[in-house]
Amino acid sequence: MRLLIAAGLLLAWPLTLNAAPKGDALFAENCAVCHQTEGHGGIGLPLDQGRLSLLSDDYLKATIRAGRPGRLMPSFDELSDAQVTAIVGYLRSHYQAPARAYDSAPLAGDAGRGAELFAANCVVCHGADGSGQGRGTGVTISREREFSIMPPAITNPGFLGAAPDAMIAAIIREGRPGGVMPSFRNELSPQDIADVVAHVRVLGKQAADSRPNGERLELTLIVDSPYDFDTTVKNVRQALGGSNFRTFPERFLEEGLTDEFSHDQKQVSLRFCNFTQLFDLLNIEPRLGVVLPCRVTVVEHPDGKVQLIAANMRTISHWFNNDELEAVANKMADAVQAVLEEATL
Amino acid sequence: MKRWLLTLLMMAALLPAAQAAQTTLMARSQMPFDAALAKVQEVLAEHGYTVAHIQKCDGGMAQFGYHSDKYQLVFFGKLEEVRRVSHSHPEMIPFLPLKLAVFAEHQETLVVALDPLELGRYINDADLQIQLARWHSDLRSILQEMREAR
Repeated sequence: MRLLIAAGLLLAWPLTLNAAPKGDALFAENCAVCHQTEGHGGIGLPLDQGRLSLLSDDYLKATIRAGRPGRLMPSFDELSDAQVTAIVGYLRSHYQAPARAYDSAPLAGDAGRGAELFAANCVVCHGADGSGQGRGTGVTISREREFSIMPPAITNPGFLGAAPDAMIAAIIREGRPGGVMPSFRNELSPQDIADVVAHVRVLGKQAADSRPNGERLELTLIVDSPYDFDTTVKNVRQALGGSNFRTFPERFLEEGLTDEFSHDQKQVSLRFCNFTQLFDLLNIEPRLGVVLPCRVTVVEHPDGKVQLIAANMRTISHWFNNDELEAVANKMADAVQAVLEEATL
Repeated sequence: MKRWLLTLLMMAALLPAAQAAQTTLMARSQMPFDAALAKVQEVLAEHGYTVAHIQKCDGGMAQFGYHSDKYQLVFFGKLEEVRRVSHSHPEMIPFLPLKLAVFAEHQETLVVALDPLELGRYINDADLQIQLARWHSDLRSILQEMREAR
């Protein structure tokens, strides 16, 4: 009987999800956190009438579906077609931005000639490799940025997979109304623009070939200590001090969850930070706080074994769909690994 | 009795929902930072969680070129859950207690959590999956309340 009820509940759930999805609610839940409630942008790029009017519905749907690999925007591949259509419909009505339709046929362009035109006109914002100059995405709000709106990575496979050549050409020709990107109508002929698009496609192939292969790493770094609990804690403290980390008061893992007499005294976290690295990371990825601060926890198990446990920053750096994190996170991972090794030497 | 209820809860949390394949759960609150920080503690308590401590990450941010100095981490959990998971799965310790990053964007506030289901991809244990699914479900509910709070 219970199983029948459970099965009924489970079967009914997707039906309620699929019943006339509301675009505004879906936008609030899935999109507003990065694009802001009114679409002014934040972690994500702004959404407004000028910008949306240049885009086709197919492009918006493909963008929602595929996201931007390595550039924060996730793939919303678990949304139903009806939900994606509802979000696009909401964007169209809320911003009064009619859709454009584009021919999906590729333009006939000379990529070699396009490379020269790209270098002369596009590199200053989009970078020589079209990756958008790095240092985050979206608009300047709380973080230090070189641009008021970060130039998008036009070689990103999510973008190039969603955008037909004709749409890219239209953006180059007309610019981004209300945005930073100017119109190149007077600088570039239609053939020049087709050549630039051809070059962007070549850059896109190079970028796709160099994407990380998604190597699976361990969640946590765990090292056995040959010392007793108190000595290990002291060793970690000394190792952190010698590594130019700023340390914070140590905390029991259960501290704050119960009274001070009831903590497990054999689980203590030594917390530390390198502020330069921290702010580098937060500039690149403002959500990284969910895995901060850095800490090494020393644990004594019931059998007397003492271990040092820390998050593996190499693994974590892959959780945010942000390729820029990798280098700084790897540096931090190396520093933590060195502390673990020194404390257990 | 509890077992089938928890299994149902886990399956429900894993059903296709209106969300992205991502590792963070996020909400934008239209409340300013201080009000949102107070509200999130209230909502956590309503869901039965204890706030263990709040850590300011904003000291000196202005020196690094930040325009906002409002960035804090809220650590929270339920003692028995944290104790059980930390003892059965020490590899989960760096992610305990649970935490929310709360930071300002102009007059609005973002609230972000690591999706516990992501951690489950690294650890093959049915009991832990049930716990992670429960946390996932609670966090979605907490974030929904933050979205709706005015």
